Amino acid sequence: MKSIKDQTYYEILEISPTASDKEIQRAYEHAKETFHADSLAVYSLFSEEEVKEIQSAIEEAYRVLMDGVLRKSYDQSHFQSVGGALPEKPLEVQGDIREKRPSLSFTGISFQPDEELYRGKTLKQIRERMGVELPLISKETKISLKVLEWIEEEALEKLPALVYLKGFLKGYAQSLGLNPQKVVEGYLRLIEESKRK
Amino acid sequence: MGWTQSNNRKMIWTIGGGKGGSGKSFITANLGICLSRLGIRVILIDADLGGANLHTFLGISPPAITLADFIKRRVSHLHEVLIPTTVPNLQLLTGAQDLLNAMDAKSVQKRKLVRSIQHLESDMILVDLGAGNSVSVLDFFLMSDGGILIVTPEPTSVENTYRFLKSAFYRRLRQMVSSPSVKAVIEGAMDRKNEMGIQNPYDLIKAVRRIDQTEADRIIEEAEAFRPNLILNQVRSKKDIEIGFSIRSACLKYFGIHLHYLGYVVYDQDVSNSIRRRRPLVLENARSRAAQCIMEITSKLANRP
Ligand SMILES: Nc1ncnc2c1ncn2[C@@H]1O[C@H](COP(=O)(O)OP(=O)(O)OP(=O)(O)O)[C@@H](O)[C@H]1O
Ligand SMILES: [Mg+2]
Repeated sequence: MKSIKDQTYYEILEISPTASDKEIQRAYEHAKETFHADSLAVYSLFSEEEVKEIQSAIEEAYRVLMDGVLRKSYDQSHFQSVGGALPEKPLEVQGDIREKRPSLSFTGISFQPDEELYRGKTLKQIRERMGVELPLISKETKISLKVLEWIEEEALEKLPALVYLKGFLKGYAQSLGLNPQKVVEGYLRLIEESKRK
Repeated sequence: MGWTQSNNRKMIWTIGGGKGGSGKSFITANLGICLSRLGIRVILIDADLGGANLHTFLGISPPAITLADFIKRRVSHLHEVLIPTTVPNLQLLTGAQDLLNAMDAKSVQKRKLVRSIQHLESDMILVDLGAGNSVSVLDFFLMSDGGILIVTPEPTSVENTYRFLKSAFYRRLRQMVSSPSVKAVIEGAMDRKNEMGIQNPYDLIKAVRRIDQTEADRIIEEAEAFRPNLILNQVRSKKDIEIGFSIRSACLKYFGIHLHYLGYVVYDQDVSNSIRRRRPLVLENARSRAAQCIMEITSKLANRP
């Protein structure tokens, strides 16, 4: 029993953490139908604000889970906290009165934190999938648009000194909701590799 | 839910919620017949205060012998007030008024009655609670092994069902906690315009946690264990069927409870035809669409361990 604010994206959509894209899509359509402003199933139970809050949580969950990269990093930050085990009991999808809740364990599945993940090109991909324009990040982070473009283009020769670059990468990562540490590490590895060539 | 344990364990299902006319009695009677034809010994209990009419759905006249005869000690054993029906393995017990009055009383009588019901020779008991929302109806619902809500895909029916569910949910929580101040908070929360600003069960837990950590945890546990069932009746389209799933999702988001969607019954003219003839649908017209739906739900109930 968790309020919408404390639910994982999987719980919000009532799916298992191993759900396929098809299942996510179906769950999303069901959730949208259910939490529609004048849906029969909600109007007498929730206040208008509550419905709005749930609606935006559904949209957010769908956006992240339907994106392979975002989903992976979401899973990493949510399910790998304690030795790779799922922190909360997984959601029961097919409710049955006497059915024991399936005890899904994530021990068999490794999320392979992939350093290569955060190259310039992947950062750009993530940003575009999120529908965020670069000028907006520039405005938010006060990092010059040019530098942001160079980061994404992997124009390594044009990039500022490492001490500054690290700070820029962190800011960029934060504005996209990515793990800054991982982004910096990934990007530095890219620079190392190119130097060796 | 959980009726007092007993050696001859039987499932007690209560059928209620929703609105007058949602189909509780029709479904109870026909489910009972289908179950008994599977070889399960079934007792139907008519506990509808306002309009006991389960007998009519079974094609029998208003019974002369009722629960009152047991309560007033005119007979010494509860099984003596059971009425046979035309269907083998199926018996009926009526006398709603007395039953609910007895449920109201926090007395020895209530416990005795519960124990007597528990000791009746049968495998399953279905109780038609009627449309009421009274404390005794709620208690009966909460004490059973499984509560079934009959809802039709209409705003009014869904609204009433939520009201019933809310009352049952908060009543159950109130019964489970022991601290008087926590009880008071729960009572306050039942009114949405309460001064504490508690709008939903999550707010309630927060408020309770400020008073008593253990009680808050107990409430969460109780919400987990509270698992009512839902049957959607008078379904007219595929979209209507989906409403059952939406109600389930809404309950999960609002209460944090797992509502089990047992199934649906289509709207079918044959239903009222059979009622007019005072012949149970599943006997009169087993191939009708509504009867097929009831049989499907029957197999789900019968297969509950
Ligand atoms: N699936 C159905 N298809 C068509 N008509 C139906 C269906 N279910 C119920 N009805 C109609 O609804 C009427 C009311 O049904 P029923 O008496 O079972 O409701 P109830 O919930 O027991 O009502 P009350 O709360 O007054 O006891 C029936 O007489 C029947 O005509
Ligand atoms: Mg009735």
